[in-house]
Amino acid sequence: MSNDVVQNIIHFVVTFIFSVFFVMTAASLGVWGERKVQAWAQDRWGPLHYGPQGLLNAILDPMKLLLKEDVKARGIDNVLFRVAPIVFFAPVVAAFVILPFSPYMTAAALGTGIIYYVALSSLDIIGVFMAGWGSNNKYALIGGLRSTAQMISYELPLVLSLVGVVMLTSVVAPGCIGAHADIGSCGVGSISFTQIIAAQMRPSSPWLWFFILQPLGLFVYYICGLAETNRTPFDLPEAESELVAGYLTEYSGLRWAMFMLGEYGNMTIVSAVATALFLGGWSGPGAAVGFWSGHLGHFWGGVVFNVIGVFWFLVKMIFTIFIYMLVRATLPRLRADQLMRFAWLFLIPLTLLNILLTGAVLLIPVDSGLRLLFAGVTNWILLAIVIFGFRRITGVSLTGKTPRWVRRQVAASAASKPATGKPATTPELAGSGTPR
Amino acid sequence: MAIGTTNVQGNLYTEDTSGLRSEEMILNMGPQHPSTHGVLRLVLVLDGETVVQCTPIIGYLHRGMEKIFENRPYMAGVRYIDNADYLSPMLNEIAYAGVVEQLAGIEPPRRAQYIRLIVGELERIASHLVAVGTYGLDLGASTPVLWCFREREAILDMFEAVSGHRFTHNYMRVGGLLCDFPPGWLQTCEKFLDHFERSAYPELDGLLTGNEIFAARTQGVGYIDPQQALAYALTGPNARASGINYDLRVNRPYDAYREVAVRPVVRQDGDCFGRYCVRMQEMLESVRLVRVAMDQLPGGPISARVPIALRPPRGEAYFAVESARGEEAIYMISDGSEYPYRAKLRGPSFVNLQILPELLRGRRIGDVIAILGSIDIVLGDVDR
Repeated sequence: MSNDVVQNIIHFVVTFIFSVFFVMTAASLGVWGERKVQAWAQDRWGPLHYGPQGLLNAILDPMKLLLKEDVKARGIDNVLFRVAPIVFFAPVVAAFVILPFSPYMTAAALGTGIIYYVALSSLDIIGVFMAGWGSNNKYALIGGLRSTAQMISYELPLVLSLVGVVMLTSVVAPGCIGAHADIGSCGVGSISFTQIIAAQMRPSSPWLWFFILQPLGLFVYYICGLAETNRTPFDLPEAESELVAGYLTEYSGLRWAMFMLGEYGNMTIVSAVATALFLGGWSGPGAAVGFWSGHLGHFWGGVVFNVIGVFWFLVKMIFTIFIYMLVRATLPRLRADQLMRFAWLFLIPLTLLNILLTGAVLLIPVDSGLRLLFAGVTNWILLAIVIFGFRRITGVSLTGKTPRWVRRQVAASAASKPATGKPATTPELAGSGTPR
Repeated sequence: MAIGTTNVQGNLYTEDTSGLRSEEMILNMGPQHPSTHGVLRLVLVLDGETVVQCTPIIGYLHRGMEKIFENRPYMAGVRYIDNADYLSPMLNEIAYAGVVEQLAGIEPPRRAQYIRLIVGELERIASHLVAVGTYGLDLGASTPVLWCFREREAILDMFEAVSGHRFTHNYMRVGGLLCDFPPGWLQTCEKFLDHFERSAYPELDGLLTGNEIFAARTQGVGYIDPQQALAYALTGPNARASGINYDLRVNRPYDAYREVAVRPVVRQDGDCFGRYCVRMQEMLESVRLVRVAMDQLPGGPISARVPIALRPPRGEAYFAVESARGEEAIYMISDGSEYPYRAKLRGPSFVNLQILPELLRGRRIGDVIAILGSIDIVLGDVDR
């Protein structure tokens, strides 16, 4: 056996173990974290008794699920019902291999990173649909159908929101720097995660994370990530108050645990991708390989740099997940048709407009720095317009903070509608205390 | 009908789908369902996600309350009426005590009337807090319900201090009350009202009312026009949200409401959002009423002299109070003995629930819960 093959096998095994265990750990810690964050938002304690701050719950919960009886209802589609959790869980594990925690701690630094990630995140849909169809339950069926429609719809703006980032990498690619760079001949950018992170921490501008240039991209990506992972306000597939538990209704024990782990794993992945593409990946204070290798030598410098890089990556990722959890504690959920309308009529045009504007700005024949500035400014303005638009449709309050346009509308509608309900004239019955 | 598709080789083949048809699906929502507010069962006929027809089936919580009253002395009924509308037991008790007093010709002392008003309005706040909080939960927001229950907890603590029970208070007596406020209770109440008005209410308001997703889910959904509201005999916040200015505390004042003026909250919206807003604003109105009543609280006895074996004269009486859900009324016939001859409860939830099938026709599944939650039924009150 040649050395190469052995190396490949070792690489494969290590990668597999890493992804599976990272998913498990991240997901069970995610469940614990979610409960803690929600409890914090809701004036409660959350898990408290096992371990410090109930931290052992992260282990005990999956263990309990492992030991539970595997209930199968009558009339289910045996194959689909059993296979569905695996089909749901496998892509999550597979998607983990490309997460770039640091330059050396990337299980598989694929050149086709974004495409690979998008492809795998779409595969989840099949598992959800199988679960909904195979469960022989009406709630599950409706949940599965809703979920399929939702995930397919939100896949599009999710992908489109990443296009802006890819365009930016083409501008900051080595061949394109400088006033006289020829647009035709310079780099075409990259869809590899490590390359995109590297583009965000070039020696000349180590702090130019792409969310500074593409805030709208991050905004849309984040919303779509919420929808992709079936979380509030897009948690319709498992809308507890309507569909009991959606496609999960008939599941219990380990199969249910696989769905939940997959879901929380998915959330981790979405956050990690946002970190890598928009928040600068492993860049942060102290994450400079040149500095450390200069002081500590090539090997130890690399080690220290990696540790710092992983630290920053995890910090950003956890922060992103934390926002996820706060969103869940804050917002109600949309209705199915509103959800679809939001994706097709709002997000997709918005992302297309973003691509158009970013592309147009990047074609302006000026210095690349100026071009980036223009792109960033346009994007921020677009984001401001979007948020302002949101604010226009909101802002109802009962304590006097009502915007003027709402008050005007209310006044107009009250004026146009005559008060039909005149005080009902009931004959005065014997008041209390008067016997009949 | 045939659908043309191409297979991998590019050959066109047709699939015969003439045998396929779509049909309506019957979905049994409840009685075990997270958000039918108890054991309500809705048989929904669905066309996709659209509701074609809805049949509410009730009776899973029937306890034969009216029959129970016939077998208990007048004084003992108070304990049972607590469980009718279990989210506002104080108001039920006021109705029960009121109807017996009317039968027997007893006038409770003024202090008892004012205390009834105070605890009744606090109970209204508690009940509306549950309604608003669980409505948020129905729409998927998990935080408001816990905030609401935190505030409600304070009210229940006050009730415990005054009556010894947190939930089924058993506080009203025919002709008055069980006992007076314990020392320091009024200060606690004052503190709670301040806290509620200054911090708890604006928090809740900011979390739910201004939320555009909440608005999108509720505005224009489940519209009840005033004629419809009258035709279905809606009362309480549901009617007032549709522009029907009907509030028993104003239109047929009882007890201390004859002296404390109520400003009923009336809105013209008629949709789920309007009903939610009416409940929110009524909480503030209740806070004001409690304040006024505490200022004017007269001294004196808390109970009239009533014989233990109460035998009201032969006759009948109907006494209605404005409960948190509408007109909570009891109709009682006395044959001159120690037991009521007949008692009939008019549960506002039961009457308000009747409009549900009409509101649901043509709406989506998501709206089913939104509309049901906005009507704010309590199954204990529906089934009795």
